[in-house]
Amino acid sequence: MSTSPLSVHGLIQSYTPPDGVYDEFITGTGIPRPHTQSFLDAINGIGRDEFARRWLQAQRTVQANDFAFGGYATPDDKLRPWELDPIPLMISAAEWESVSAALKQRAKLLNLVLQDLYGEQTLVTQGLLPAELLYAHPGFLRPYHGLRYPNQCLLNFYAADLARSPNGEWWILADRTESPSGLGYALENRIVVSRMLPDVFHSCQVERLAPYFIAAQATLRGLAPEHPENPRVVLLSEGPKSLNYFEDSYLARYLEYTLVEGGDLAVRNNQVMLKTLGGLLPVDVILRRQNSKECDPLELGSTAGLGVAGLRQAARTGTVGIANALGSGLVESVAFMAFMPRLCQLLLGEELLIPGVASWWCGQPAGLAHVLKNLENLIVQPAFRNRGKDGPTREKLATMKPDELAATIKANPLQFAAQEKVKRSTVPIWSRNLQPAYLALRGYLVTDGNEYTVMQGALARTSSALDPLELSVRKGEGSKDVWILSDGPVEMVTLLEEPGRPIKLRRSGAELPSRTADNFFWLGRQMERAEASARLLRSAASRLSGETRSTSDLEVPVLLRCLADQGQIEPGYAINKMRGQLPAIEHDLPMSVFDPSQPACLRSILDEVYRLGSIVRDRISLDTWRIIHGIDEDFRPAPHRTMTLSDLLSMTDGLITSFAAFAGVIVESMVRTQAFHFLELGRRIERSLQIISLVKNCFIPMPEFPGPVLGTVLEVADSLMTYRSRYLANRQLAAVLDLVLTDETNPRALAFQYVQLVRHVEKLPRDRSSPDYAPEQRLAMTLLHSVRLMDIQSVAETHGLGDYTALERLTTEWESQLPKLAEAISHRYLVHAAPSHQLADLSPQ
Amino acid sequence: MNYSVSHTTKYSYSEAVPVCHNLVHLAPRALPNQVCEEFRLLIHPEPFAVTYAKDYFGNDVSFFAISQTHLGLTVTANSRVAGAPMPEVVPSSTVPWEQMAGQLRTARAPDVLDAYQYVFDSTSVKRFAALQDYVKPSFPDRRPILEGVIDLTARIHSDFKYDPRATTVHTPIEEVFEQRHGVCQDFAHLQIGCLRSIGLAARYVSGYLRTEPPPGKPRLVGSDASHAWLAVYCGPAGWIGVDPTNNVLASTDHITVGWGRDYNDVCPIQGVIIGGGEHRMTVEVDVAPPETPPEPVPTVN
Repeated sequence: MSTSPLSVHGLIQSYTPPDGVYDEFITGTGIPRPHTQSFLDAINGIGRDEFARRWLQAQRTVQANDFAFGGYATPDDKLRPWELDPIPLMISAAEWESVSAALKQRAKLLNLVLQDLYGEQTLVTQGLLPAELLYAHPGFLRPYHGLRYPNQCLLNFYAADLARSPNGEWWILADRTESPSGLGYALENRIVVSRMLPDVFHSCQVERLAPYFIAAQATLRGLAPEHPENPRVVLLSEGPKSLNYFEDSYLARYLEYTLVEGGDLAVRNNQVMLKTLGGLLPVDVILRRQNSKECDPLELGSTAGLGVAGLRQAARTGTVGIANALGSGLVESVAFMAFMPRLCQLLLGEELLIPGVASWWCGQPAGLAHVLKNLENLIVQPAFRNRGKDGPTREKLATMKPDELAATIKANPLQFAAQEKVKRSTVPIWSRNLQPAYLALRGYLVTDGNEYTVMQGALARTSSALDPLELSVRKGEGSKDVWILSDGPVEMVTLLEEPGRPIKLRRSGAELPSRTADNFFWLGRQMERAEASARLLRSAASRLSGETRSTSDLEVPVLLRCLADQGQIEPGYAINKMRGQLPAIEHDLPMSVFDPSQPACLRSILDEVYRLGSIVRDRISLDTWRIIHGIDEDFRPAPHRTMTLSDLLSMTDGLITSFAAFAGVIVESMVRTQAFHFLELGRRIERSLQIISLVKNCFIPMPEFPGPVLGTVLEVADSLMTYRSRYLANRQLAAVLDLVLTDETNPRALAFQYVQLVRHVEKLPRDRSSPDYAPEQRLAMTLLHSVRLMDIQSVAETHGLGDYTALERLTTEWESQLPKLAEAISHRYLVHAAPSHQLADLSPQ
Repeated sequence: MNYSVSHTTKYSYSEAVPVCHNLVHLAPRALPNQVCEEFRLLIHPEPFAVTYAKDYFGNDVSFFAISQTHLGLTVTANSRVAGAPMPEVVPSSTVPWEQMAGQLRTARAPDVLDAYQYVFDSTSVKRFAALQDYVKPSFPDRRPILEGVIDLTARIHSDFKYDPRATTVHTPIEEVFEQRHGVCQDFAHLQIGCLRSIGLAARYVSGYLRTEPPPGKPRLVGSDASHAWLAVYCGPAGWIGVDPTNNVLASTDHITVGWGRDYNDVCPIQGVIIGGGEHRMTVEVDVAPPETPPEPVPTVN
């Protein structure tokens, strides 16, 4: 056995960091750094195998979370920007203390700079900052100038990226002032790793993250203008298409704020309101996750569809608190970093406690000359950050040859800046053997306007290649939890529960955002539409495929008519004469189901189901999402192979089972909130329409030999077994119509849908003191009465004799009333949920 | 010279609009040689409240929101404006253009610093290499700045064709430059880009022209809608307005509403609506000497 001191630490035995860098775990002579000792001892006690087993288990938790929160901008988009690594980065309390002091200094300084530039601008008028830095900055948003009172904090949330150079010194790589990302990931990393290593976590005396979040909540509460006891705080997200949506929804849940998008808010009389089913509710504080530029489309003409028209005016009149203040992104640009040492001297009379990595702005002659002379050793970047949007520019700059790069800079020097490369420190990454990876750290600060609080932890990002570190929070390869090791016992603080304090019991009410209700309504409709299509397709496929039944010839035409009515297949297939001119339906049907150019085809409907499901994902159970996700994954054509009827048959079988699971989980697991009522309203309206379409297409006109078609209807309406148990094989129109139209005990019958519609409409929020029924109530009751008053025997009798008027009249009436009901609901509850857009303008002439 | 201005903008929507928010730049700005004696904003349907404020550039803005369902919106701005001629500037007496550009870069007197912000790219005025080549013939070494500007104005007027159908409010100047046609806004943006590309400060001016010309004078283009031109900072001579659409220096027939870096900063009516489907817009402008006897004209020193 080796006598190396490392041999006792099985884990890091073979770990060898590259030469010439600082390693966070071991010294240059291979000895563990003192503050990592207790961790290594604890891990050694657990043993390699047990560690591996626990890690495997923890990864499953991560995957389950992805499942619930992952971004879904494009199907190819990776759910998670990086892999979490189980070995935390450890930093001693004393060291973090000194880093914290430096970060506080920097935050204070940046806040002063922001206050000045969005206020008096003395830095510019006195020539302390080059005027170009402000005037050429696309992020200097003039409408937000002069919004705040002097000395009001503009930078409640701040984050800084840090790296450690070979001599062990820390450097600031970048500032984040617009709306720092990554907090949600830091939190999630902590939850996963501390659950994986509860014993080690405890014995290492790790400082908690919760005090930071408690301070953040206090800060936001304090921003409420009237200081109500329980202010309404919303987290304004860019929405599901944004790369930050994962952590937006994660944070909103953790901090217990309503997650909203621009469309959920409205400004009325300079007051920001949340649009809910119960009406407009005032919003006190906005935790802003959208870029300042997109926050008020009225002022800045943004057409991104984000933001709230009139938000600036509301901010100006002081009816709403916004963190960070509108415009705060101004100072998070590389160009500013070049001036930080000087600004620190001027505004605070101090040296920077931690220097920024050397930066030059090409907007000044000296900076330009230096950059052009040292192109090979510098990383050239856009001078002014365009949050979330300048990735392509960075990549382009990184791949340019020196002379091309020089020409690009010279053409518009104001727009470029360059930074020195930092040889960052290394940390071990868990794999079969420990591998070194380069580290960058993001520290988080929050302030209520007095003192900044630094999070006792951070987001660590790692990459196997040294340069250039893309500083967007989404890029990078790995991530680590960061443990600040306390010298003494750590106080237990958590936001997850507050023991001892009595909790006020609540029921969900009418505060559902209207847009969310609209999404649930359409999720219900699309889900039901998909099911109806799947049932028709299955019945059609089984009759068209090999095992021909004697009655297929009679059944197939009506099924094709139903499918054509839905837009699933070309209308020509529904007309006997034209069918000869089209490709054989046996061949065409399985592929047309997946034809992306057909908005009505089953796959397109499922795309819509998935999209709507993703949007309401933070309001449905994990299992519900799992079903939606599973449907989306499974119902895809096999690659490189022609779909056959039997493929279609087995896939629709699977699909119908999934729909049953969905319906089941709705009934059994969904709390009876407004979201539930809207989902159900959508489902019931759609199912009603589908039943009517089925009856119409199969019985008007009445087929010559009705027997088989009666059976088809029962099969599609999933009522075949009930019919058999009641009437055995005796198929008659009256009995079939009763079962699919008037039988209130059959969940597949029209009458059942109408009973449900009346019930759900009744539950919608409204002024109960009014003696009148609302239009949507009247419409639902009219529908129910008309089906209840229907004399099914006599309708069936005259129908059988060739007089279709009774059934025609009823189906036509229902088909016109149901959309009116949907419209009435939408008009009353969802009208404000419509998207907003810019009024066009004519050029002056 | 006195004018009464009436500017009516009508929107009609194919579907009902429950809410709209508007921000308008319609009130003529107070200037040393221009007084706005009266300004009235008539809005139908009537908004809950109209807020008046100043924007970053010192222009008057009005905000209003309508939160009752409506199928159309009419905004009429009526104003009475008295204007006096600016003191005449002899072009050959202005500073050489290089000197002006140099001063903008280095001098920090408040006026110069204020002008300096109009040297840089803005949303609708993004410079490109060909602009610099185009502007150069008008600015040989040491030429007095206003001489160069007047020359450039004349060249743009003759090189570019006025065509109201060729462009929209969002047409980039690079396209205007290549296609050689546009409207007043495009010519103003183009000339601003030219001047900025040699380091001069140029701002976009939004306003009106009198509709009927004085007896014996030709009717100016752009007089029946809102008009746009530009102003150039000429150091001691101050800001001088030029109108490339008509190849003239801005005179008392040009009524200034406001200015900014480009159209986006002073767009007459900005609006955000919910719903509304398709919408149509019409604009009517009338600028005429008032029938009532004119007020005494303010004098400019």
